[in-house]
Amino acid sequence: MSGQAKGRIFPVVVISLFCVVILAGLFGTLLPSMNYLPVIGHTHVSLSVWFDFFSYPGIQTAIRVTLFSGLTASFGVVCLGFLFITFSYGNALWKFFEKILSPVLSIPHAAFAIGFGFLIAPSGWLIRMVSPKMTGFTVPPDWIILNDPLGISLSIALMIKEFPFLIMVTMGALGQLDIKKTLLVGRALGYTKEQIWLKILIPRLYPHLRLSIFAVIAYSLSVADMAIILGPSSPPSLSVLILKWFNDPVMSFKLLAAAGSLFLFFMVVLSILCVYLIERSARVFLRPWTTSGKRRSFLSPLKPIIFFMGSGILFFTAVSSVILVIWSLTWQWRFPDFLPTAWTLKLWTKGLMSSFDPVMTTLLTGVASAFIGLILTVGCLEHEVAAGKTRTRNYTGYIHYFLYLPLLVPQITFMAGIQLLLVITKMDGYWITLMVSHLLFVLPYMFIALSATYLAFDGRMTDQAMVLKRSYTSVLFRIKLPMLIKPILFSFAIGFSVSVAQYIPTMLVGAGRFSTITTEVVSIASGSDRRAIAVYALIQQFLPMMMYALAIIIPKSLYYNRKGMQV
Amino acid sequence: MSLELEKVSILKQGSTIFDPVNLVIKPGEIATIMGPSRCGKSTLLSAVSGSLDAVFTLKGSIFLYGRDMLTLPMEKRNIGILFQDDLLFPHMDIGSNLAFAIKEKTSRAQRNTLIDKALKTAGLKGFEKRDPSSLSGGQKARISLLRSLLAKPSALLLDEPFSKLDQTLKAKIRPFVFSQIKKMNIPALLVTHDPMDCPEGGVILNLNKEKG
Repeated sequence: MSGQAKGRIFPVVVISLFCVVILAGLFGTLLPSMNYLPVIGHTHVSLSVWFDFFSYPGIQTAIRVTLFSGLTASFGVVCLGFLFITFSYGNALWKFFEKILSPVLSIPHAAFAIGFGFLIAPSGWLIRMVSPKMTGFTVPPDWIILNDPLGISLSIALMIKEFPFLIMVTMGALGQLDIKKTLLVGRALGYTKEQIWLKILIPRLYPHLRLSIFAVIAYSLSVADMAIILGPSSPPSLSVLILKWFNDPVMSFKLLAAAGSLFLFFMVVLSILCVYLIERSARVFLRPWTTSGKRRSFLSPLKPIIFFMGSGILFFTAVSSVILVIWSLTWQWRFPDFLPTAWTLKLWTKGLMSSFDPVMTTLLTGVASAFIGLILTVGCLEHEVAAGKTRTRNYTGYIHYFLYLPLLVPQITFMAGIQLLLVITKMDGYWITLMVSHLLFVLPYMFIALSATYLAFDGRMTDQAMVLKRSYTSVLFRIKLPMLIKPILFSFAIGFSVSVAQYIPTMLVGAGRFSTITTEVVSIASGSDRRAIAVYALIQQFLPMMMYALAIIIPKSLYYNRKGMQV
Repeated sequence: MSLELEKVSILKQGSTIFDPVNLVIKPGEIATIMGPSRCGKSTLLSAVSGSLDAVFTLKGSIFLYGRDMLTLPMEKRNIGILFQDDLLFPHMDIGSNLAFAIKEKTSRAQRNTLIDKALKTAGLKGFEKRDPSSLSGGQKARISLLRSLLAKPSALLLDEPFSKLDQTLKAKIRPFVFSQIKKMNIPALLVTHDPMDCPEGGVILNLNKEKG
């Protein structure tokens, strides 16, 4: 058939936006890394920046810390995720995870890192819980737990934070596999459930998760906010170092930052390539094992450990929020005491007042980017529906591919490039560029969240309405979108919470002119007043939760007398 | 002595869904359970295989060669199942699908001979490297049966195995399935709503519930 499906403007806009921004971003780091930055008078192209970069004091340690924390976190979370699904699929813990997934995912990285730090620090809640009775400590031990030079606490925190994300993507992918029947067939052939997961289901699941796993790798290697809070400090991991260089008043450090972020990009590309090669060879090397007929599961002893770790992740996530609440209400809390001895609301009144401006910026940027994200998402999905119906030429395939791009290239790399280009063209420091930079990360998550439900919408409903009403727009706005209000608001809340959590784009593209609650949280996290830090972290955590609450309440109250809308 | 169902009935929320079933199936025999849809045929089959949903409770006893089946988990019962869908693993070739079923402690060479032999009996020689999705419906059904049998089950359950095939295919596949079961000399239990599916001379049981 000829012709093109309706609404192709949306995918075209999205794809060109993504391509232009990412290419511009890479280009914008490439030039300065070759010593080309006319604004500060560097026009002689050379490799000198790279020599400076590699001879920067402590750079090798920084690279080592980045690789260690990023790769152990990614490797750990993927193994744990697969083992968790193998042992827990369908059981009570799994179902509980299903229920609490979205509130857990809505916790911003920085807020979680702060709460986690308050737990595991030498003077943290965990040690207080057992002191002085079991440990004899009356003063905090001088252990280096937080900001440990290897980045172990950072990688554990990353694992805990990435785990629910991986489980969410897994749950989405499981719907496409015939789990129940496969388990039946496998068990009828004499295999245990665990063996069927390991030999049949996980190999089939992996292709659906591949891009998300790559995104986890890219994120873990380039994370900045959590690394500032929990990671080592001298030297810090690479992305923190890059941010430091970028914000240095001496302009020539920007060249170093460009080289560093390009190097980080190579690290990510190389790691992803390695993981891909491991997957390819695993498929070949594990084949004899798959068809060997071995039915006994050698991993069964791991079952209690995995169960323990799964519950541990829930425990740490929940308790790191509880500890924030306690600290935010504390007036006085001496070391081995389990709870504060004096409480107050003073820190809250102070914190709420001083955070007013950043909170407003956060709200405005989050709502704007989620709203534009929603229009683009619905537009692209309508294009996909139209294309499916008329079987005309469409951009559906490309969209799914390009959407993951901003999640696979380290944020800091192309954001740094964009910012350098904006500086060169003297267009830096506008709110609109900040909002668009958030949109790049908001859009993929919104699309992933909405697409399955949106595409599953019963087309006969709109056909029937079209026959009665004969106007596409009125059918879309009066029938389809209202019926889909729940998933739409939910994806809006996800988009909003992604925007709230953005740290690197705000730091770089905001050019210091805009501070959001997230940049404020990270900047005060290094301070010594845990009470003030806790208030800020809770405000940061509250904003997305509020949006999720609205996404639940609004459809309920709009359609309280429509039973068919309550499902 | 073979597959025995003694006063088997299944309860849902305290009431039985069919009258108690008594059945003895000798090796090489195929018993058929008939009945309209939703009468509990497949539920009875899942009780035998060990995959009964937790909403049901089972009364009575099931023995296979004198062993009490009800105390064993599904994977320990050594009972094969054939469904109406072929359920071949789509990411493996035909050879691997079949190899997956063969028990441990069989050498690679022995495995290959077993697979080759099995494919030959089904008239599908040389299909080892084929992609399951490139096969026709009838071919898939035959491979699916071969896979069940290569696990050397002590009994075989057939859950409407022909219902997705068209009339001409059914007529071809049925005798193949029945002859393979005779050759293996194992008891088999077939569930169907189509009287045409019943093997000649086998026991036929109509599943129903007395009213009142």
